[in-house]
Amino acid sequence: MSLKQLSKLVADGEKEESEALARELLAQGTDPIEILDDLTRTMDRVGELFANLDIFLPEIILAGEALTAVVDIVKPKLKSTQRLPSKGKVVIGTVKGDLHEIGKNIVKLMLETNGFEVKDLCYDVDPLDFIKAAEEIGADFIGASSLMTTTMPRQQEIIEFLKDKGLRGKYKVVIGGAPTTQIWADKIGADLYCEDANCAADKMVAIST
Amino acid sequence: MTTAYRVWEMMERSKTGPHIEEDDFLPKLFTPTLKKLITKYEIKFDPETPLPSDDAMADRIWQAGWDLFRKVGIYNTDSHRIIQVSDEEIKEALYVAKDRYWVGAGKDAKLWKHRQVEDTEPPFCIYSPDITVDEHLHHSMCAAYLKEPLLDGFCAPILENAVGQLIESGGPTEINGCIQHIYNMRAAARQLGRPGTFFVAVGTAEHDSGQIAVSDNEWGVRTTDSRLVGTLTEFKTANTLLNRSVHYAQYGCYTGNLTGPIYGGWCGGSEGIAVTLVAYSLNGLLIHGAMFNQHFPFHLNWGSNTTRELLWSIAMAGQAMARNSKLLYTSNGFANAGPMTEMLFYETACHALVSTVSGWHLWEMASTRNKYRNRATPMEARLGVEVGHAVANMGMKREQANEIALKMLATYEDEAATASKGKEYQECYDVQKALPTPEHYDMYRRVKDEIADMGVEFPF
Repeated sequence: MSLKQLSKLVADGEKEESEALARELLAQGTDPIEILDDLTRTMDRVGELFANLDIFLPEIILAGEALTAVVDIVKPKLKSTQRLPSKGKVVIGTVKGDLHEIGKNIVKLMLETNGFEVKDLCYDVDPLDFIKAAEEIGADFIGASSLMTTTMPRQQEIIEFLKDKGLRGKYKVVIGGAPTTQIWADKIGADLYCEDANCAADKMVAIST
Repeated sequence: MTTAYRVWEMMERSKTGPHIEEDDFLPKLFTPTLKKLITKYEIKFDPETPLPSDDAMADRIWQAGWDLFRKVGIYNTDSHRIIQVSDEEIKEALYVAKDRYWVGAGKDAKLWKHRQVEDTEPPFCIYSPDITVDEHLHHSMCAAYLKEPLLDGFCAPILENAVGQLIESGGPTEINGCIQHIYNMRAAARQLGRPGTFFVAVGTAEHDSGQIAVSDNEWGVRTTDSRLVGTLTEFKTANTLLNRSVHYAQYGCYTGNLTGPIYGGWCGGSEGIAVTLVAYSLNGLLIHGAMFNQHFPFHLNWGSNTTRELLWSIAMAGQAMARNSKLLYTSNGFANAGPMTEMLFYETACHALVSTVSGWHLWEMASTRNKYRNRATPMEARLGVEVGHAVANMGMKREQANEIALKMLATYEDEAATASKGKEYQECYDVQKALPTPEHYDMYRRVKDEIADMGVEFPF
C-alpha cells in the first residue's frame, strides 16, 4: 500500500479501490495533505495525457470521479490548521439558447482536478442566472461557454448585466467555445478568453493573482 | 417517400421511453456499450493505412453501429427519456428508404443516388463554406459558390448580423437574419442562371423558430430543398430539434441529419467514431425521417478531420454504409488551415479522395477549424470536388487511393496543430465580381498540377 499505488488507481479511474486504499493510508497515519499533494501531481499527468489525446474524455472523467471520491474521504481528516488548497470558486455554464455542453464539461473537469471549486449550471443558462449563482456561492469567476455564433451575444449580456447591477468588478468573466476568439473577448470586455479546456486552469490562476 | 411515417410514434417514445439521468446517459450507457461493441466486433484502427480495403471489417462496423443505435437509443434532454427502436423497425426503414431522390427544381434539378465503394459514378457535391460571414459579403460569397461548375447543391455561409443588428438565437433578430439569408441565396441563384439549385438552408437558424420562419415555396426554402436537424453530441436530442423534424416532414422538404461525433470525446478514438457514424445514420433515418445524413466527425483539439485518425473513421464508416445499405450520406470536410494556403488545398483534396473512394458524397469545405469569420472560399471546395470526380471517373481502387492519401498527408499532417489561418474571403476574391484573385487561382492551379502528378487524372 503506497501513495504510488493510490496514484495509479486514481489515474486508472478505479473509484472503489481508490477509496479503499485512501482509507487504509489514512488509518496508517499518512498525512492527508501528502495524499492530496500527490494526487494533484497525478491529475496534472492525467490532464497532460488528455491534452495530447493519449487518453480520451471517458478515461479522464473516470479519473476525476476517483479523485473526487478520495478527496471526500481525505478532506474531513485535515487538521484545523491545514486547509484544502482552493484556487477559486467558479460558476460555469453554457449560455441561453445553446444546448451544447461537451466543451463546458471538459473545462469543468479540468478546473475541478486543478483545485477550483465549480458550480455547474449546465446549459441553456439565462445571463441573470449566472449572476445569481455567483452571488449565492461568492464566486471569483463566471465562466460562460457558447458553441454557436448566434448564442455568443449571451456572453456579452452577462457582462452588461453585471455592469447594470454594479457588480462588474466583483467577478472575472471567462469565455470560451468553438466560435469564440480573443477578438470577441476583447470586444465584449471579458476578463479572459480560453481557447481550449487545457489552458483554462493556468490562465485563471494567472489573472487571479 | 422518406421514412418520416413513424414520426409520431418516435415523438411518443420520447415521452414514454426508459428514464435515465442525463449525467448518466453517456458515461454509464453510451460509452460502455460502444467499447464493448468495438471489442466484440474486433474493430482496430491502423494508422499506417488511412484508407483501408478491409471489407470484412467494414461489415463488422456496420453491425456494431446497428447494435449501438438499437441498444443505446437517443436521449431527449427535455423529457429525460430514451427513444428506442427495434431491429424490425430498422430493417423496415432500410427497406423503405429509397436509394435515389430528385432534388432541386426545374432545369437545375439533380438526381442524387446511393454510391458504392470505388463507384465510378461521381459523388453528389454540396458546396458549403460552413463559416460565418460579414453581412456585406454574404451575397457575394453566395454568388461565388454558385458560379462553381460542379456544384450540385449549396449551403450558404452563416450570418452574424442582419440590418445592422447582432443575430441572437431564439429571438426576432434570428428570424430576420434567416430571411435575409435565404433572400441572398435565392437572389444569387437567379442572377447566376441557376434558380432551381438544390439548397440546404438556412444555417443562420440555430433555433427552430428561425427555420420554420423561412418555409415558403415562393421566396424561402422550398420543398425541393433540404434542411438539417442536428444531434447533440453524442446521441442526444431535444424538443427544439424534434420540432424541426416534425416541421420538415409536414412542410414536405427533404430532411438531412447533421452529426459531428468528436474524436477524443465520448466516442473515444477512431474505431468509436466509425461505429458512431453508422449509428448516427440509422438515427437520421429512424428518428428524423432523413433523406440523407451529413456527417462531420472532428478532432477534439483541432476541430478538423483531415488527419489520418479521422480519415480512417470516414473511410471505414463510408464503406460500411455503402456495402450494407442504400443510404445517402455526405462527408463534410473540416480543415486545419485557412484559405489561400497550399495546406488547405491538400487537406481538402485528401478528404475528398478518401471519402469518394469509400462511397461518400461530398460536402466541402470548412476551413480554419470552422472557427473564423470570412475564412472560406469556393476554390478549396472546387479542388476537392474535382478530385472526387476524377477518382470516380478513374474507378480508383482503395489501395491506390491510400497510397495517394499518404503522399498528400505527408505535405501537411505535421502542421495540423499549427496551421496557418490563411486569408479572408475578400483577400482571395474580387468581391464585386465574385471571382478568385489571380494569386489565389494560381495557387489552386499549382496544387492541382502537383496532385495530378501523384496519379489523379482530372477530367479538365
